[in-house]
Amino acid sequence: MATVELSSLHKSFGTFTALENLNLHIEDGEFLVLLGPSGCGKSTTMRLVAGLEEPTSGEILIGGKRVNNVPARDRDLAMVFQNYALYPHMTVGENIGYPLKIAKLPKSERAEKVRQAAAKVEMDHLLARRPGELSGGQRQRVALARAIVRTPQLFLMDEPLSNLDAKLRTVMRAELKHLQKELATTTIYVTHDQVEAMTLADRIVILNDARIQQMGTPAEIYARPANTFVAGFIGSPPMNLISGTIAEGIFTHAAGRVPLAGYADGPATIGIRPEDIRVDEGSECIRGQVYSSELLGDSTLLNVRAGEALIAVKVGPEGGRAMDSAIALGFDAEKIHVFDGASGERLGR
Amino acid sequence: MTLTPSARLALIVCQIALAIFVLLPFFWMLSVSLKPATEPFAIPARLWPENPTLENYVTAFRPEFRTYFLNSLIVSGASVVITVTLALLAAYSFARRTLLILTALMSLVVLAQMFPHSAIIIPIYKMMRAADLLNTYASLIIAYVSVTLPVAIWMLRGFLLKLPVSLEEAAAIDGAGPLRVFFEIVVPLARPGIIATAVYVLIVTWQEFLFALSFTSTREMRTLPVGLNDFIGQYGIRYGELMASSVMVSLPVIAVFFFLQRYFVAGLTAGAVKG
Repeated sequence: MATVELSSLHKSFGTFTALENLNLHIEDGEFLVLLGPSGCGKSTTMRLVAGLEEPTSGEILIGGKRVNNVPARDRDLAMVFQNYALYPHMTVGENIGYPLKIAKLPKSERAEKVRQAAAKVEMDHLLARRPGELSGGQRQRVALARAIVRTPQLFLMDEPLSNLDAKLRTVMRAELKHLQKELATTTIYVTHDQVEAMTLADRIVILNDARIQQMGTPAEIYARPANTFVAGFIGSPPMNLISGTIAEGIFTHAAGRVPLAGYADGPATIGIRPEDIRVDEGSECIRGQVYSSELLGDSTLLNVRAGEALIAVKVGPEGGRAMDSAIALGFDAEKIHVFDGASGERLGR
Repeated sequence: MTLTPSARLALIVCQIALAIFVLLPFFWMLSVSLKPATEPFAIPARLWPENPTLENYVTAFRPEFRTYFLNSLIVSGASVVITVTLALLAAYSFARRTLLILTALMSLVVLAQMFPHSAIIIPIYKMMRAADLLNTYASLIIAYVSVTLPVAIWMLRGFLLKLPVSLEEAAAIDGAGPLRVFFEIVVPLARPGIIATAVYVLIVTWQEFLFALSFTSTREMRTLPVGLNDFIGQYGIRYGELMASSVMVSLPVIAVFFFLQRYFVAGLTAGAVKG
């Protein structure tokens, strides 16, 4: 168990900058999720912490100790790879026990620990199988067991659930969260799936274009996205972003006007979550036509064509509308997020 | 791909024709080896001996043959072990490191295999004589390792490139040092490639004639391909015994190839597509 400190971390591959001036402190026992689209630098960050890549510049501290020059094998961490990276020529038992074998644990002790780790992920009945004979979910569990068989300072997980089907992913997600809390080991988890990030993380770090866009608890990031990138990335469906202009306390856009006091005049983007929009015939905020109406069971998702944009609106299960019917939408001022029209940075509140 | 019945038939006919073309010399070798001395050139020619006999084999399996066989076994065996070991180490570096100098070196390795043996044999002979290595196993082993190493590196590199790097990374994170990663992860996973490369080296060295003829002049040091020459005299060729010996020379390689051919074919294509 340990804290992790990354300061001014920079990594380039030739002329490509994978990571730029990254500063990050991870608390002992924290479950930190690095979230971002592919190529954003999240996997690079993890590989730097693991010691699989060398930073171009900057410092990496694990447990307060500088590890820049410590090889991966001496950093005392465990990693779960996206493709599981199980040794195909070893049995499940040998796979799980490999870190212990290297650590020269006596055979009997090793067998006991392997059995315990396998039992934790419910794989103890398949120890004699080889990875090739297992399903994707089972391989994932073996990879997890290999990580938890010793008590490393740090867990690193690189999209460990991305190769599983949707149903299994939900189950494994819950198991993972439970396991991490039980072991209380600092964990860095990389994913591009915002639902995974929201559900698993103590704290999320959102990366894009080699830079941190925002960090905070899932609730903070959901409630106060720092810029339009984060706003459009988090939430399912994500926040609606509408570009227009603010003039004299009124935000005007292609399909309506929204009263918006307290902002300087100029181009702006407003963000509003689908669940914060209400259907309101008296409102002028947005006037458009229903493009599609999808019943999700507990709610209905309306897509409304307003000018060029499609606005997602979440209404009650009874709120379905006929396609192409006219509709007016209203927002409450306090639910509106306002972003700078040029930089996309959050304005005000 | 599905074929129409006529296309299928045509394909089968072509395959049979090709098989006959390739196998007929082998069949003839076997047939002649079983014919008594009077029969090989009997007219009309017979595909199969009238009075099959093992006499040729008894004569061919003379003490010299046993010496030659042992020599071949030592020279080929040592060449296989040395070439595969060196090639595996070299191929691993070529497959895993991206230094510019290695790319240049790999081109040189490819270039090295392009010289015909007859073009380099005189310089090599002179070197062997200068080093006082003529008529030793070492002369042949050194020559064989040199000529098989480039292709062996090429083949193994193709195999290693197909192994996912994440397995080696996982082992490193599990605490394994570079040597341990190499011996416990890379080598076991590269086994098919290692077998394929070993078969290749065995086939090349077992049948090699030119170097063996040039570097050895005494009977004690001769290898099988050169030994077969004994039956080709100034005034005649003893076909029966020559073919009986040829069968005995071919058998080990055919047996090895038969059991390991799936690795061999995989090895050649691995080198080809990943080049």
